[in-house]
Amino acid sequence: MRRISMSVVAAALLGAVAIAGPPASAQKAGGTLVQITQPEPPNLAPYISTSAPISQVTAKVYDGLLEYGFDLKPKPALAEAWEVTPDGKTVTFKLRKGVKFHDGKPFTSADVQFTVMDVLKKVHPRGINTFRDVTAVETPDEHTAIFRLNNAAPYMLSALSGYESPMVPKHVFGQGDIRTHANANQPIGTGAFKFIEWRRGELVRLDKNPDYWRKGLPNLDRIVVRFINDEATRTAALEKGEAHVAGFGGVPYNDAKKLATLPSVEVTTKGYEMISPIVELLINTKKAPFDNQKVRQAVAYAIDRQFVIDNIWFGFGKLATGPISSNFAPSGIYTDNVTKYQVPDGIERANKLLDEAGLPKKDGGIRFEMVHDITPYGPEWQRFGEFVQQRLALIGIKASLRYEDVATWLKRTYTDYDYTLTSNFLYNLPDPVLGVHRAIHGKLIKQGTVFVNGSQWSDPRADELMDKATIEPDPKKRAAYYHEVQKIVVEASPIIWVFELNFPTVVNKRYKDVITSPLGLYTNFAGVSRE
Amino acid sequence: MHSFSQRFFANPRVALSLLWLSFVVLLAIAAPIIAPGSPFAIVAKPFAPPLGDFLFGTDSLGRDLMAGLVHGARTSLLIAILATLAAVAFGTLVGAIAGFYGGFVDDILMRITEFFQTIPAFIFAIVLVAILAPSGTSLVIAIATVSWPPIARVVRGEVLTIKAREFVQAAIVAGQRDMAILFGQVLPNALSPLIVTGSLLVANAILIESALSFLGLGAPNLMSWGFQIGAGRAFLRDAWWLVTVPGIAILLTVLSINLAGEGLNDALNPRLRDL
Repeated sequence: MRRISMSVVAAALLGAVAIAGPPASAQKAGGTLVQITQPEPPNLAPYISTSAPISQVTAKVYDGLLEYGFDLKPKPALAEAWEVTPDGKTVTFKLRKGVKFHDGKPFTSADVQFTVMDVLKKVHPRGINTFRDVTAVETPDEHTAIFRLNNAAPYMLSALSGYESPMVPKHVFGQGDIRTHANANQPIGTGAFKFIEWRRGELVRLDKNPDYWRKGLPNLDRIVVRFINDEATRTAALEKGEAHVAGFGGVPYNDAKKLATLPSVEVTTKGYEMISPIVELLINTKKAPFDNQKVRQAVAYAIDRQFVIDNIWFGFGKLATGPISSNFAPSGIYTDNVTKYQVPDGIERANKLLDEAGLPKKDGGIRFEMVHDITPYGPEWQRFGEFVQQRLALIGIKASLRYEDVATWLKRTYTDYDYTLTSNFLYNLPDPVLGVHRAIHGKLIKQGTVFVNGSQWSDPRADELMDKATIEPDPKKRAAYYHEVQKIVVEASPIIWVFELNFPTVVNKRYKDVITSPLGLYTNFAGVSRE
Repeated sequence: MHSFSQRFFANPRVALSLLWLSFVVLLAIAAPIIAPGSPFAIVAKPFAPPLGDFLFGTDSLGRDLMAGLVHGARTSLLIAILATLAAVAFGTLVGAIAGFYGGFVDDILMRITEFFQTIPAFIFAIVLVAILAPSGTSLVIAIATVSWPPIARVVRGEVLTIKAREFVQAAIVAGQRDMAILFGQVLPNALSPLIVTGSLLVANAILIESALSFLGLGAPNLMSWGFQIGAGRAFLRDAWWLVTVPGIAILLTVLSINLAGEGLNDALNPRLRDL
């Protein structure tokens, strides 16, 4: 009896919704999603720190002006419409009306102006670069923001997501010092979910924002982001259905392969198209004998990338050809018309190059000795280091391994330049200007700044091409510049681009529409629903 | 009344332990002959099961597990023995001086010893290795640093009792120098508890070394049993042999050293002499 009446009520409700207008989605509302994020973020301030785990949480709280589709083209979000003048120097955004921050105050063009000019352009590690040509944000009315630029900035429209450029409230963050703001760990945004609490070492709880500007969304009542230190426990939680989504290497690669065979779980490598991590070997080109291009090329020939993909990252990768990911193929920027180092006779070629470089094999078949610094990111990186050591042994380079903590390793690599060869992975991000230039542009040899040009290599022609591409509005011409850049740097080999890392994202099949954007877990999850 | 060696070797547990230990030592010495080349060399496809081309199979990078075990025995034993020798030498010095001179010197030295004893040994070792950067030398230093306090206390206690005996008093009366009395009269009589504690320290040192390597803080260029377990831990469900084989090696070796140490204790204990 009770059951019947319940279903009658449910049907009546559904009918009411149907009459009231088309629902935003046919999905069922309600439910809690448990996301595993590893490691725990250091803070919840994505406007000042780009540490990878932060935005897995905060992209649900803060919106950006734009969102992106799998074609990497912008879609409306906080900005309903936008217009770029032909010279690219003026960009006008029409802002959505009736959008409210979680504290009830309205979102206006003043917030956009404040966020871009006073926050992102000043304190965001990448925003400094993204908005460097923005001279002013004008606010003729509450719902119009006009960006004035010195030069065209074609990459800027790719960097306005809630992950890359989160819109923060002026009335909150405008008070006091932005660098040490009290709300750094209590985010207040316009997003689909409201921040409730952060229990350190345990979880962050986000609850549904009932006043979200997309009517009828979000579907879920709650998102709980859990932090589980032990990797086997993370796998078990996903296997048992206690947690429902995890990505960014949070699940060991061999376990992801195993989880994929379960009927309740789906493993996807989508949702990283605007992130595009590439695993690389970083060479100190100021240190002999690696100041010699032939020696660098020899190492590039010696590394069997396919073995690394198959046996160390368990298939979650694709051969990299150069600094730019093949995810940029649709925009024409990517090319594989460069020197190819993954060849069957790589070892012979490497040995020949080293002979030519004047480094003959001496007693015991050793040419010279060096230290390879293992990246302190976890077991895959340790195995990768051991593998590199073995491959170098095949070409007569005796490498010993050094393992330090992250802070020491970063200082050694980017501040002291006291290393010869190390490994790392960098994101390409939505545009080469943001993700690629930093590693190879001469102007970005900045001692003490992490994740920039640590190999200290530069080439005047490559720098010139990158500078031109930065301000070139014509996509065809831009692509041509980048093709030449790729040719030059791959030939010079200051960095060995080993493979494009395809992070596996594990998703419980009861949850629908989880990965719907090239930013994957760095999106708002408004459309996610539980079956 | 039996001699020491009769009492020691007649104990079946001791005999079995010594058999295993001499086997391990033999393997460690003969490592370059049994498994020539680097134990890190990639020799076959990853995850080859045991009893195929390789007795114990291969690991996640295609390295021969057997070669790793043999070379690992070398590393584990060498580091454990060096660390124990360092700990015993330092602990004996501190304990002997504290016990022999007593008073103010004793107070100072024992407070320092207690200071080291209050820090949890394993966590202290982790901190030391992290500060010194992982290498063979830093492992020896870290293990020795956390192992010497018990030795110092044992030696101090022994010296205190022996110091009161008549033959020591006689030596003092005879005008022997302090150091001559300490090293000639006192310490030789404190040897048996020292040997027993020291032998147990070796077992402990192997465990600490393995645990550090397991956590990724071992010497990155030295193959060891703990490293093998650490590297294989993530694949427990795919390739059980990666952790099981070196795990059994550690278990048997540590157990053997403990049993042999206990046997030594029984054999050296004068009260048990007539049993």
